[in-house]
Amino acid sequence: MKVTVERSALLKSLGHVHRVVERRNTIPILANVLIQAENAKLAFRATDLDLEVTETIPAEVGPSGATTVPAQMFYEIVRKLPEGAQIVLEASGDRAVLTIRAGRARFTLQTLPVSDFPDLAAGDMTHSFKVSAADLKRLIDKASFAISTEETRYYLNGIYLHAAGAAKAATLRAVATDGHRLAQVELPLPAGADGMPGIIIPRKTVGEVQRLIEDGEAEATIELSPGKIRFTIGDVVLTSKLIDGTFPDYGRVIPLGNNKELVVDKAEFEAAVDRVSTVSSERGRAVKLALTAGKLTLSVTNPDSGSATEELEVEYESDPLDIGFNSRYLLDIAAQIEGETAVLRLADPGSPTLIQDRESKGALYVLMPMRV
Amino acid sequence: MPVRQLSEAVVNRIAAGEVIERPASVVKELAENAIDAGATRVEIAIDGGGRRLIRVSDDGFGMTHADLDLAVERHATSKLAEDDLLDIRTLGFRGEALPSIGSVARLSITTRHAGEPHAWALSVDAGERSEIKPAALAAGTRVEVRDLFFATPARLKFLKSDRAESEAIRDVVRRLAMSRPEVAFTFLEEGRSPVTWAAALPGAHGQLARLADILGADFRENAVEFDQGREGLRIQGFAALPTLTRANSLGQYLFVNGRPVRDKLLIGAVRGAYADYLPRDRYPLLAVFITLDPHEVDVNVHPAKAEVRFRDPGLVRSLLVRSLQEALMRDGQRAASTGGSATIAAFRPALQPRRGWDWRRSTARPDPRGMPLATRGNTAFGFAEVAQAAFDVGAPSANVTLHEPASATLDQPLGAARAQVHENYIVAQTRDGLVIVDQHAAHERIVYERLKAALDKTGVARQILLIPEIVELDEADAERLAARAGELLRFGLAIEAFGAGAIAVRETPSLLGEVDARALLTDLAQHMAEWDEALPLERRLLHVSATMACHGSVRSGRRLKAEEMNALLREMEVTPNSGQCNHGRPTYVELKLTDIERLFGRT
Ligand SMILES: Nc1ncnc2c1ncn2[C@@H]1O[C@H](COP(=O)(O)OP(=O)(O)O)[C@@H](O)[C@H]1O
Ligand SMILES: [Mg+2]
Repeated sequence: MKVTVERSALLKSLGHVHRVVERRNTIPILANVLIQAENAKLAFRATDLDLEVTETIPAEVGPSGATTVPAQMFYEIVRKLPEGAQIVLEASGDRAVLTIRAGRARFTLQTLPVSDFPDLAAGDMTHSFKVSAADLKRLIDKASFAISTEETRYYLNGIYLHAAGAAKAATLRAVATDGHRLAQVELPLPAGADGMPGIIIPRKTVGEVQRLIEDGEAEATIELSPGKIRFTIGDVVLTSKLIDGTFPDYGRVIPLGNNKELVVDKAEFEAAVDRVSTVSSERGRAVKLALTAGKLTLSVTNPDSGSATEELEVEYESDPLDIGFNSRYLLDIAAQIEGETAVLRLADPGSPTLIQDRESKGALYVLMPMRV
Repeated sequence: MPVRQLSEAVVNRIAAGEVIERPASVVKELAENAIDAGATRVEIAIDGGGRRLIRVSDDGFGMTHADLDLAVERHATSKLAEDDLLDIRTLGFRGEALPSIGSVARLSITTRHAGEPHAWALSVDAGERSEIKPAALAAGTRVEVRDLFFATPARLKFLKSDRAESEAIRDVVRRLAMSRPEVAFTFLEEGRSPVTWAAALPGAHGQLARLADILGADFRENAVEFDQGREGLRIQGFAALPTLTRANSLGQYLFVNGRPVRDKLLIGAVRGAYADYLPRDRYPLLAVFITLDPHEVDVNVHPAKAEVRFRDPGLVRSLLVRSLQEALMRDGQRAASTGGSATIAAFRPALQPRRGWDWRRSTARPDPRGMPLATRGNTAFGFAEVAQAAFDVGAPSANVTLHEPASATLDQPLGAARAQVHENYIVAQTRDGLVIVDQHAAHERIVYERLKAALDKTGVARQILLIPEIVELDEADAERLAARAGELLRFGLAIEAFGAGAIAVRETPSLLGEVDARALLTDLAQHMAEWDEALPLERRLLHVSATMACHGSVRSGRRLKAEEMNALLREMEVTPNSGQCNHGRPTYVELKLTDIERLFGRT
């Protein structure tokens, strides 16, 4: 195998794939990246057995071939080579090394056999559809904060993606919850997605997709089957196993009947919550919301350090109500709201509250209160 | 052999000093006499911490009238054949115990020799002896000591509490009992239930049985045997795996030619042998039995015969270290079953149905209010800690579904991985049980062994010093170091003699970073003077490797896939010493199916 490729192209795609590789491994081949050179194309692949990322770039290919080298070290070498360098990768069948040459620098890396490299064996995909990168990003970004990290509820360790509604109102919906809060984000159902199974995309995959679409590709193709999902974004193909579990019937925790409506200026509200929670000694202390007509009083009391209160003028016409929330949860949700105004629909101090952006109806959040 | 008076010359050679310091010394002397008399059963009874009463009875060959008459005289013994203090094969040889006891207490001896028509009795009261009278005793000897030190009130003041004195006595009895598994011992103490250690078979099996009686069943399950010989020296015994340790060296027992002794050589050698497995402040339990030609060891260095001096301590030490290391390597993969039995013990209380348990208050109860709200930890308003309410998102369940393990994997010693729990513990199934692996500890050990092997293979990289450091030492130390320069070079330290009493350090192990050469050399010289090897340097290098290993290994919190878990298990099986982590804790525990069945009362 012999390939010549420009450094920046190599660095960019290695940057995409090497992230999948875990730093510390009990199986040596998992620390490696697979390199395949063929038909003027150079492909890289890395996997952690649940997730596999492949990227293909154009390159000047001499004899074709394939090998695997330690991903981290390969990436570091390329990163340190001078900008604009032409890099030559060369491997011969009889020695288990890859030679990397650029200018007058030369490296040899130990290789492991290609045949040992695990294959995720994606199999047949049952559904395929396209979404714009911006839509996909919104879907994922707005839901991901609510993903649970609790391993004992492994079916909550990802985003639940499924088709909801019917006919014209059909949507592609992403839901995540950790039991304290829930996020639900949706888009009009793309062509090809109807009848898709409900799937749970693992958190690590969600994170990788988020990074890949940051690069601003125009469109993403999503293919899926009940066990796997594949994202094709530009030159990168990411295939992932899905979480094999049943997502809870989340619809029942969304309180559509809450009738006490609180309308706040999102920026003002966010800043005030942040300010009063300064006196809490630890993250996630309760902030108390005292509501009377037209007025919201936020307060935090910390027996060890002191207390804080702040009043806000708000739109509120229902009966007075006192309710507490974890301040960090409130801030997390406020951060998802893009418009100027947030609407909170409350019931009582022990029941879930619904939070939405007044301008955009495509997303809603549910938050459980704290006893204060 | 009849009892006879020792010659003046021999008496003077015997190290001076008081034999009887405290009740425990009396017990030790009398029980040793019983063993020397060929007893198969020894019974020891005490009261008041031994102050009020000590009685030792045996079924040995007893004494004739003439023997008894002489036995209580100073320096009378039947045990020194040729007045040869260099050839001692009995526990006693000084002929001092009985007269010393007789001079400070009320001593009475009743004894029956096979050649006598009946037993004889003699008593000594603060040095005043009585007539020898006929008495009734079928066989053996019974020695009774009452009111110890009544004749020397000053000595009484130095005694500790009865509890402390009786603990010292028990220690003496334990050590003697360990040294003679073939002798049955009974220990009676006023106010405690009697303890009997039945006679065990001679040989290693019986020895282990007796050790288990005394050190506990844990020791039996976690001990490895060692047995090595060289040039008439034999070192044998049982050592605990590094997972069974104590915070002091009191659980380390040494026996030389059947005599319980204390020797710092033991502690040092044990530390050396376990250096790879244990932090410095942990001491494994062990019992070491050294047998050698009596001419090769001097037992006459301490009035209470508690210490010995070896002719060639270097040989004894190196063979001891070698035997222990070899045994630990051999059993390095074995997990401490203490983990397992402790686990079982921990399981039990949970299984007791609690009185007043009410399913309605159990957390396993289904929530009758259903959706949407289940407030957990619901507490009194205003007083208790604030509580975060939660939705009901279903019962917790770990993702434990894995593919049916291949039958071949089940046959492996560590079995097939079935699940990972708490993001650090691998649960694996074997043919006859269950293995729980601490993934971080296990992987750390594997990485460490790999680094160590690399160190052995490639040698240690050396940093050349800009200016060689000259370290002044005393001449003997300097010479000793210079003579070992070749070996030290292997560990990355290049030194050479620099005139008399000085060493020039030219290169140091780069792994150690900046090195205080003087401290290192002094350390090395001291260690070499004592032990004849360069252990401190090696240990420091390994310590650095251990730290690197810790950083390079899979952490707890990392979720492992089935393939990764199985890969780890397979690697553990082929890595030496993988049963313990670098800190001496077990890397895995095993629960046998029988243990599990016992938990459920199925056996
Ligand atoms: N339990 C016993 N059975 C038989 N002989 C004994 C016993 N105790 C003491 N003797 C005899 O009395 C002698 C003196 O005992 P001791 O003063 O302890 O001196 P040592 O044990 O050093 O010879 C012993 O040498 C032994 O012959
Ligand atoms: Mg004696």
